[in-house]
Amino acid sequence: MKTTRRQITLEIVRIVLVVLLALLLGFFITTLVSDDPVGAYTEFLTGPLPKISINDDGGWQLRGVNRFGNWIEDSITLILLGLSVAIVFSARQFSLGAEGQLFLGALAAGAVSLYFHAPAVIHISLALIAAGAAGFVWGLIPGALKAYLNADEIVSTLMLNIIAIQFYQFILTRYMRDFTAGYIGTEYFPETAVLPVVIPGTRVTVALFITIAAVVAVWFLMSRMPLGYEIRMLGANRKFAEYGGIKVKRVITLSMAISGILAGLAGTHLSMGLLKQLTLSLSPNIGFEGIVVALLARNDPKWVPVAGLFYGYLRTGAQIMERSSDVTREMVLVIQAIIILFITAERVLPLIQQWWQRRRSPEAILDSVEGVGDVA
Amino acid sequence: MPNLIDMRDIIKVYPNGVAANRDVNFSVEKGEIHALVGENGAGKSTLMKILYGLEQPTGGQIFLNGRAVTISTPHQAIALGIGMVHQNFMLIPSFTIAENVVLGQEPIKGQLIDAEAAINITRQLAQEYGLEVDPTAKVEATPVGMRQRVEILKTLYRGADLLILDEPTAVLTPQETDDLFDAVRRLVSQGKTVIFITHKLIEVKEISDRVTVMRHGEVTGRVQTAEVSEEDIARMMVGRDVLFRVEKPPQQRGEAAVRVSGLSYVSVTGRPLLRDVSFNVYRGEILGIAGVEGNGQTQLAELLSGLAAPTTGAATINGQSILGRGPRYVREAGVAHIPEDRLTNGVALEASIADNLVVDRYYRPPFTRRGAMSLRQIRQHAENLMQKFDIRAAGAGAAIGSLSGGNMQKVIIAREFSADPALLIAAQPTRGVDIGASEFVRRQLVEARNAGKAVLLISADLAEVFSLADRIAVMYKGEIVAIFQNSPDLTEEALGLYMLGLKRQTPAEIESQL
Ligand SMILES: Nc1ncnc2c1ncn2[C@@H]1O[C@H](COP(=O)(O)OP(=O)(O)OP(=O)(O)O)[C@@H](O)[C@H]1O
Ligand SMILES: [Mg+2]
Repeated sequence: MKTTRRQITLEIVRIVLVVLLALLLGFFITTLVSDDPVGAYTEFLTGPLPKISINDDGGWQLRGVNRFGNWIEDSITLILLGLSVAIVFSARQFSLGAEGQLFLGALAAGAVSLYFHAPAVIHISLALIAAGAAGFVWGLIPGALKAYLNADEIVSTLMLNIIAIQFYQFILTRYMRDFTAGYIGTEYFPETAVLPVVIPGTRVTVALFITIAAVVAVWFLMSRMPLGYEIRMLGANRKFAEYGGIKVKRVITLSMAISGILAGLAGTHLSMGLLKQLTLSLSPNIGFEGIVVALLARNDPKWVPVAGLFYGYLRTGAQIMERSSDVTREMVLVIQAIIILFITAERVLPLIQQWWQRRRSPEAILDSVEGVGDVA
Repeated sequence: MPNLIDMRDIIKVYPNGVAANRDVNFSVEKGEIHALVGENGAGKSTLMKILYGLEQPTGGQIFLNGRAVTISTPHQAIALGIGMVHQNFMLIPSFTIAENVVLGQEPIKGQLIDAEAAINITRQLAQEYGLEVDPTAKVEATPVGMRQRVEILKTLYRGADLLILDEPTAVLTPQETDDLFDAVRRLVSQGKTVIFITHKLIEVKEISDRVTVMRHGEVTGRVQTAEVSEEDIARMMVGRDVLFRVEKPPQQRGEAAVRVSGLSYVSVTGRPLLRDVSFNVYRGEILGIAGVEGNGQTQLAELLSGLAAPTTGAATINGQSILGRGPRYVREAGVAHIPEDRLTNGVALEASIADNLVVDRYYRPPFTRRGAMSLRQIRQHAENLMQKFDIRAAGAGAAIGSLSGGNMQKVIIAREFSADPALLIAAQPTRGVDIGASEFVRRQLVEARNAGKAVLLISADLAEVFSLADRIAVMYKGEIVAIFQNSPDLTEEALGLYMLGLKRQTPAEIESQL
């Protein structure tokens, strides 16, 4: 299929163009708020990358590995949450429950970490399963409420978030807390329940591999399993799915429950990977960032890692710019938001494409597609 | 005098690479009724969407009264006096008919929309052009035929001088079509101009002054209607002679495959839509359901296909009870269903052709084995059906939404026929399908019957019912008021009396024909 390859190339060219335009727009705003816009924006664009510095004696050194680590750590959370959201969005449900599922996942993982004793492989596996199960249940509830009682899932997931977070903080403060510490948090997890680091000098752990496995699993679910097909058809046209014999209520419930597993796993990355303990606030409001990632990836699991890495890069770069330039936190967030807004805006791509087409003569376009459409 | 509309060298290439119009020249004179015909996917709707500002041409120019114009939005088209009624309805279902008619140009009283004025305007327009609607009814609660009239009223309300009607009669009953034609003639006598897309050549002959024929994105002919026959037009469209009559061998009727008894259905709003409906469909039989649309046919199809549960009554297929158990159960019991409203039920527009073709069978081998789906099998399956049913599209991966109206219908037909059902419910199966393809669908229906399947044909097209059905049941206000053996003695006029509720058979007469 010659055309599809051409289309993919075109699509990639367009995406790159949009990103460049968006970054340019970000730079423009930076010039308005910074005395040294070039310096500030350079920090933003290159901050998360490690740098090689050559010593006088000819030796070299790698610097900024921890910044690079921050990028990957953040991206892992974002990718897991992005997958979670992509599943529900594909079913055209609008769950906002990732935050609560993440807290309960972390809580379950924390409980297993602290109160069980086993060799590392088993210990970690048990904690992961517990976290996934907690997320599953916390997705199942709003899913079933939506499917069988027609309770609006936006409202129910937001409510369930509050319950989950309050419950988490209650259990932590009341029962799990290390009372010898000067803050509210558990003891550090035992060695056997801490995810092993895979990139020295960072907190990038085996959560990286768990995430890669999750991407493959969700991709497989959505494009190769009957349930994924059912989710996609439900999302495309509910009446059509019903007409075809798909048990729509079951699919709604399951899609939200499975999405919960991934948010629960994100909770293990935060607790067993990054913090190695449970603290009162795990990572504020990260639950909603999955929506951005899913939007960027157009709900396609294949693209979620790319979108997660991209958005993670933006977030890390923005933090670095905030720390090392005169651009305030608020402006940093504005710049970040504008870039995302620009990229996710549906109309931007078609506009660029029109411009692309206008450069060629109509006859040339007609010639280039001759034959297509006469499949008969 | 220059033509009202001159479209010159129009090229349209969709983003997916389909060339829908290739150097099309199309002109319309003021005050004429101009028919635009061609096979499914020939590019008719595309050309009209360009004229209405919905699609941008890749190349070419449009002249209005000799003056070059660019039409980049429907807004501009309306300002230029061009209105369009779409093939696929574009109404807001949850709004009332009056609200839909005035949408965007609402009469205002103070700060608010003047609901009463909207109703009056609608009523007045409806009366003026003989297009009967109930202004206060919600669109979602009205039958397809009325929605079409709402679309036309909407355009008239916006003051269109040139009216583009994209397959308006596909959804109309013969009576409604006559009314529409009266309205069109009235419009033209008032100096308006009408472009009329249809697949029914008899209508072309009846109403149009000139015809333009398209094929594969090109114009293949432009003639005075009076100078050509239906057969001539068909040949220009298809490139070969078309059979207008379907060969139907004598019937080999078997035992009853489907038994429906005492079926009643009351809508959520308390309206009885079906009353005590009983009939059988036999193996090797096509049972035609005739009736003015909105007399319970839609509900009957929904109950039998498992989409809704009846209030009372029973239905069995080969002895197995199928009511109220949901579509999956019913489909597995051997029922296939070509739905009346294809956009709502029949397809998922953003999904691919391949995905749309397996919605009833994706979970079974060869499509799913040991929990994993085979994309290769699904694509292969789609390619086979696309070839067998002559579905024209860029490929099996193309989204259904990018297909022409007729090709969408062919996707549904391909899926339901290939399900190899014991009972095939076909609701308006050739609606919007071109003559070549209609011939194909009808032949398939007859073949299914010859192969011993039971076929329930629901059609607003009486000619279709007469040419295909072995028996004809007439529905009126949710009841079966008569059942006849189809025979040359049975006339449209005779059936019409039953369809309009002026006559009915006695219960004993119906009983004897069950
Ligand atoms: N939005 C779209 N994107 C891509 N391709 C499209 C789109 N709309 C139509 N096409 C393709 O363009 C061709 C012409 O379609 P069009 O709808 O104009 O046909 P038509 O003559 O109106 O057919 P029908 O009688 O079936 O309504 C078809 O091959 C169709 O698949
Ligand atoms: Mg069309």
